[in-house]
Amino acid sequence: MSTDNDTSGATEVEEDIPDAVLAQVSDYVDGVLPPDARAGVKAKIEADPLWKRAHAEMALTRDNLSGLQKARAPAQFDQDVTDIIRKRSAGAFFGRRTFGDRVPFGALLILAVLGLAALGYVLYSSSTGSLKRDAVPEQGSAQPSIAPKI
Amino acid sequence: MTDVDPALLRRLRARDERAFRELIAAHRDRVFNITYRMLGHRQEAEDVAQEVFISVFKTIDTFREEAKFSTWLYRVTVNHCKNRIKYLARRHDRERDELDETSRAANTAVEGPTAAKHPDRQLAAAQMEKVLQEAIATLDDDHRVVVVLRDVEDLSIEEICEITGLPDGTVKSRLHRARLALRKKLARHVEDS
Repeated sequence: MSTDNDTSGATEVEEDIPDAVLAQVSDYVDGVLPPDARAGVKAKIEADPLWKRAHAEMALTRDNLSGLQKARAPAQFDQDVTDIIRKRSAGAFFGRRTFGDRVPFGALLILAVLGLAALGYVLYSSSTGSLKRDAVPEQGSAQPSIAPKI
Repeated sequence: MTDVDPALLRRLRARDERAFRELIAAHRDRVFNITYRMLGHRQEAEDVAQEVFISVFKTIDTFREEAKFSTWLYRVTVNHCKNRIKYLARRHDRERDELDETSRAANTAVEGPTAAKHPDRQLAAAQMEKVLQEAIATLDDDHRVVVVLRDVEDLSIEEICEITGLPDGTVKSRLHRARLALRKKLARHVEDS
């Protein structure tokens, strides 16, 4: 049954109940035995005090383990994880794409290009090369004389 | 077929922060419980659980959709735990075997009203918790993994085989040996008390 041959310091051999018995009882408790083998182990548990004790102890161990409280992650866990990622990636991991989802960078870029094109056209079409409008002389007004008054 | 929503997976691959938060919210407690039971120390467990999610986010592009996401996540968790156990062993950090005051307080805080009405039961439960956690910590990492996944997290033998990459027989064998060791520790505790 056992294919793992390592005998770690963690595992301790029981003197009273043979390892093979506990292995079968462990499988029985897990519900992984085929029906005929399960029936055989069940019969032994009912008839043999050693098997009965092995079953009781194995079931108790398993119940105690499954009854351990479920440890919960701290409330700020999500924030901590995302903060670490942001810090380690200098904001590059989430930043560009997530921010990009919210702000329409593409549309802003097109608007900026159109704005620059309009500005360039105005400057190009201006005779002064300035944004100021060209001065147009009023009709009927006399040309200013440059001759000195006598 | 994967057990994660394909739309969520797409958002994760697009590095959508909200998707990452959704994923953490869905799995954080289970991942944390595994790291805590594997390491026996709340601060170490929190640190490793954070690293697990960071690894998942970094390598989400390598996740194949035909696999089960939870299996992949637990494999990452187990690998991180084993690495941390080795690292702590190298540092001879004995503190990892101790339940710190914070975790004891936190565990007591989630006890139900029955326990609050029966301080003797609460004390007995806390003692059993401590004995079990200490017993788990005496197992080597290979045995600890299978007993935590099977008996604490209630995963099937098949799932454990997929997570650890071990054959069925090896998983069962390690489980038997781990239970044997824990049974002996518990028997000693019962005799002492």
